[in-house]
Amino acid sequence: MIKKILIVDDSVISVKIMKSCVPKDKDYELFDASDGQKGVEKYKEIKPDLTFMDLTMPVMDGFQALEEIVKFDPKAIVIICTADVQIKAIAKAHDLGAFSVVKKPPAKESIAAAIKEADDALAQRG
Amino acid sequence: MSKNDNIKEIITTEETDLMQEIMNIAFGRAAADLAEYIDIFVLLSPPDVILLQASDLPAYINRELKDYDKVSVVEQSFWGKFKGNAYLFFPAGTGRTIISILENGDEVFQSESAHEMEKETFLEIGNILIGACIGKISELLGDFSTYSPPRVVVEKSSRDIVSSSLIAPGNVAIVLKTVFEFHEKNIGGYLFVVTKQESFAWLKTALHKFMEQYQ
Repeated sequence: MIKKILIVDDSVISVKIMKSCVPKDKDYELFDASDGQKGVEKYKEIKPDLTFMDLTMPVMDGFQALEEIVKFDPKAIVIICTADVQIKAIAKAHDLGAFSVVKKPPAKESIAAAIKEADDALAQRG
Repeated sequence: MSKNDNIKEIITTEETDLMQEIMNIAFGRAAADLAEYIDIFVLLSPPDVILLQASDLPAYINRELKDYDKVSVVEQSFWGKFKGNAYLFFPAGTGRTIISILENGDEVFQSESAHEMEKETFLEIGNILIGACIGKISELLGDFSTYSPPRVVVEKSSRDIVSSSLIAPGNVAIVLKTVFEFHEKNIGGYLFVVTKQESFAWLKTALHKFMEQYQ
């Protein structure tokens, strides 16, 4: 069951938008990091059940951060939330181990659905 | 009150962040449209939002392009409640590289002059990138835009390529800047969207309305 959610995005407003899209009725613990490097460090520190990851970020982009996280934890559930909607970008994210991709700007419904899918996947793993 | 204090009064930090995110989304869409047109992968960078006095705009663009002696530019005006000018800059040589990508299997280009081919290529790329980007910004903010025919200048000195008469003296412009690269093609470019001051009141209202869906 998902309890801790990490949001990795360099945009303060984007983090705010993402947090507002996370359903309030489940009492998720929300954490955030402002670039890929900090996202990887935060991941190792808090071991979230689910991570939302932007792709276009300074210092370390979302592709590299995803790769690092999956290397550290092959079972990591990372959902890419990105404005980069190129087919090749989405395919690359999947190849690197992303659980799913949500296009920006996020809608509350799409974030709730993505969390539910991740929760179901976790439940199946037992 | 200093010039910078005046500018800060025009747009808040949160509004600047939101403009940056909207530009990020809009250019992401534009890049996807371009990637469908040419078989490339566009590497995106986080965009910047800068507020400038009209008189400072040409010098700012000159500074941004200082590494290039010559650039090609596609310029297009857009109108709506969101109003301004878009400039797409490419370093010299980019047109020929893009043509070589397009020429794979396309014989039409063989009969046209090199200069005309470059001009046509920039027109098409400008049309896709500027149109998709401005169109998405307008859509996200509840507006729609119309466009002037694009103007293309191929390989001109980067100095003074943007006229100081673009914006009325004393006015302020919001400049949205994004830098991009075509992966494995060793070329890149800059897109500047210069928003005129007369759009600011509408823009602030539209940004707040956009955020209401996330309250």
